[in-house]
Amino acid sequence: MFSSLLRGSTIALRTASARSALRPVAAISRTSLVSPLRAYSTGLNRDDISARVIDVVKAFDKTTASAQVTADTHFAKDLGLDSLDTVELLVAIEEEFDVEIPDKVADEIKSVAEAVQYIASNPEAN
Amino acid sequence: MVKRLSGLQRDVLQMYRQCIRQAHKKPEANRPNFIGYIRTEFGKHRNLPRKDFSTIEHLLRVGHRRLENFSAAEVKDIH
Amino acid sequence: MSGLLRSNVTRAALRRGLATEVGQQAPRLKTFKIYRWSPDKPAEKPRLQEFQVDLNKCGPMVLDALLKIKDEQDGTLTLRRSCREGICGSCAMNIGGRNTLACLCKIDPDTSKESKIYPLPHMYVIKDLVPDLTQFYKQYKSVQPYLQRTSVPADGKENLQSIADRKKLDGLYECILCACCSTSCPSYWWNQEQYLGPAVLMQAYRWLIDSRDQASKMRKEMLQNSMSLYRCHTIMNCTRTCPKGLNPGLAIQEIKRSMALE
Repeated sequence: MFSSLLRGSTIALRTASARSALRPVAAISRTSLVSPLRAYSTGLNRDDISARVIDVVKAFDKTTASAQVTADTHFAKDLGLDSLDTVELLVAIEEEFDVEIPDKVADEIKSVAEAVQYIASNPEAN
Repeated sequence: MVKRLSGLQRDVLQMYRQCIRQAHKKPEANRPNFIGYIRTEFGKHRNLPRKDFSTIEHLLRVGHRRLENFSAAEVKDIH
Repeated sequence: MSGLLRSNVTRAALRRGLATEVGQQAPRLKTFKIYRWSPDKPAEKPRLQEFQVDLNKCGPMVLDALLKIKDEQDGTLTLRRSCREGICGSCAMNIGGRNTLACLCKIDPDTSKESKIYPLPHMYVIKDLVPDLTQFYKQYKSVQPYLQRTSVPADGKENLQSIADRKKLDGLYECILCACCSTSCPSYWWNQEQYLGPAVLMQAYRWLIDSRDQASKMRKEMLQNSMSLYRCHTIMNCTRTCPKGLNPGLAIQEIKRSMALE
């Protein structure tokens, strides 16, 4: 939901800049607004994200070694992690993708799928 | 099963997150020491009743002050 | 055997009795009720603990009694103290309902009344009688309590000041920042985060009127908002409680006046 919203806004901005090309005076400020979004718009492949998240989860020392980690794994139900462990795990994921997950969002991420979803929607992840 | 977190619980999680993030800024070799320290310090009060607000608030304050101290770049390791 | 030993000891004690002990007086036992709370057991509620002190064998000040209790009855009793003569401001606490320095506060000799001792009110407690003054010190730092000048004297020596200008600092510079006044102020109780409180405002004033300081415009601008200064509603608890006999309430009034006249 988040991602579609963002993608929508990029398109809106692009059309805005296309229109402004006709009127060069206004163009400068408009394009400078657009550029940071564009620089990051080369999104990550969802499967790659998923694989990397799973690797981070497997490497986490509180994950039981025998546990099978898949894209559907739930942190608490499948891995037995408590809320504090989940926080730690999310920080490790933050580090892997070089982003900072806002507190409100982070409190809601409880599974591999949700983490992947957030990273995919974050244009700054890399 | 899914309980909504209270504001105070969120504060605690936030505090834990700040601690762990700070630990990740320390020299890599010493990170396990920091993480271990954080885990034991939080673990000490694991059984605190959820409704014991004044105690939790007190511990949050103490925690924030300690986090501030340990955040200094000069602090490289912890035992 | 042990009885023999004890009688020897008591005889020796009688012979070498302290000069201050006038013969064998009946003990004058005074009850102190002291606020106790330990961070080692954060889930335990604070409580009042009773101690009895023989006033015949104790110095005249509350601090003497507290130290006697700590020495002889309960070593875990925790308080700040240093100079024992009212110049360091460490032993500020609430004694008998009034914020004051334990070292300047005489013990009420009436042994029928108990003496209640609490930490400074409305402050977070670190342990027993030790309050957390972090916020108080941060606020003091925020008023930049030091001389600020854009120029140095032509002769490269001191910044001179007339005798009359120096006189203006009397009654202000003596403040030892014990926090008794600020923690007695209801406005400070309810708005500790934003209102600077009497002690800090008095120091802000001390630098405002210093003839050698050249930053008064900036200093006034910092106070020009609804919270920092104007939360003072002249309740005057500050002046009433100051153990050094200073008048922070007046200093705040003077700041308000000089800002109103601008």
